[in-house]
Amino acid sequence: MVSIIRPALLRQTALAASTRRAAGVSTRLAQQSVRSAILKNSARCAAFHTSSRRSLLPPGPQVIKGGVNDPAPVPETSPSHGSYHWVFDRAIAAGLVPLTVAPFAAGSLNPTFDALLCSFLLIHSHTGFQNIIVDYIPTGRYPMSRKAAMWLLNIATVTVGIGLYEFETNDVGLTEAIKRVWKA
Amino acid sequence: MAALRSSSRLLATASRSAFRPAVFTRSMATLGDATNDATPKNSSASKMKKFQIYRWNPDQPTEKPKMQTYELDLNKTGPMVLDALVRIKNEIDPTLTFRRSCREGICGSCAMNINGTNTLACLCRIPTDTQDMKVYPLPHTYVVKDLVPDLTHFYKQYKSIKPYLQRDTPSPDGKEYRQSKADRRKLDGLYECILCACCSTSCPSYWWNAEEYLGPAILLQSYRWIIDSRDERLSERKAALDNSMSLYRCHTILNCTRTCPKGLNPGLAIAEIKKEMAF
Repeated sequence: MVSIIRPALLRQTALAASTRRAAGVSTRLAQQSVRSAILKNSARCAAFHTSSRRSLLPPGPQVIKGGVNDPAPVPETSPSHGSYHWVFDRAIAAGLVPLTVAPFAAGSLNPTFDALLCSFLLIHSHTGFQNIIVDYIPTGRYPMSRKAAMWLLNIATVTVGIGLYEFETNDVGLTEAIKRVWKA
Repeated sequence: MAALRSSSRLLATASRSAFRPAVFTRSMATLGDATNDATPKNSSASKMKKFQIYRWNPDQPTEKPKMQTYELDLNKTGPMVLDALVRIKNEIDPTLTFRRSCREGICGSCAMNINGTNTLACLCRIPTDTQDMKVYPLPHTYVVKDLVPDLTHFYKQYKSIKPYLQRDTPSPDGKEYRQSKADRRKLDGLYECILCACCSTSCPSYWWNAEEYLGPAILLQSYRWIIDSRDERLSERKAALDNSMSLYRCHTILNCTRTCPKGLNPGLAIAEIKKEMAF
């Protein structure tokens, strides 16, 4: 549906932009010619674009750091963000499998295992969301958005952590809750 | 094929240029010097196919990129997409711009996005169906013109991994650095990479983070030097990758392995680096 009206929308935005640009410098005649040219162009271009123009975080112009024959800069070594982080991620993910299956397979509800499951889930989702932020909000182009997203994630993780703690100590706990909801 | 043999071409041009329009003699990609002359009946059973090709001219920067359609008779064109492109440039539109060199999949110049897949135009057969064929430059690259992407950053990244043998100790007998057959076998599937950038530009992770993430092609090359038994800078090479961006932006999407026109497996190479770095 949107694809049908998009050419029209595009034409309008192009028109608005062109008239704004033309208004300062030229006469009405020049405005008219610019307007008609842009109209013609925009109709053709609009047919070409199939994706939305409101793209999130669009790439900027090309920037080549240093000369074209210099090597690209190598980042500083930091295993805690590199190899250790990767191993830790995999270990947590692998550990989640037995922790998820065990309580239902054994049929027992051990508060220690419940607490372990909750903390593993929390860490797993935290590093997962971190990965998403690192992927989609590059520090180089959007340093402020990156920082904001990371802090938002930290706040969310702490909130969820407190919530899970409350749920474990004052209520039935995660495993029991799932057991009650689960009607297979 | 006859057109590619120099001796027969010399003879052919001498005897035929009198009867033939100049257009036919200069085209490398037009099939069959001999058959064309002998069988004009081909024209009745022509197999027309449309090629939609991405066009953008830096001399008119205000104009948006557009798709331009060319129609070719497949009976008179070679079997590969590159043949069609060369024929379009020779006979229909000389302003069409693309890179090509070896026409046999060893130089990696003609990497482009054909019908939605990154591949080498010279290794990609023209499908015989009647659907339009779409040709774009490599995705998410800065375009220089038409089908020519800017690979400057790609080459800068290649340079940053120091793609050459680094040693401090001379070889024991003062001759070349020797390697066991088993060690040599480890390089199979890695040394064949021609750096055409098909895999890197098909990787979503590389689309988002090309500035810092090295991408499958460069990581495959990196692995090629990491497991080379003659190289003595293993720890430095691993340390250069040990950060959050260079290597670990790979999320095992495996578009690289699916698209590689040489049939290599960059995804496996990256997994091997990760294993090597882990313990």
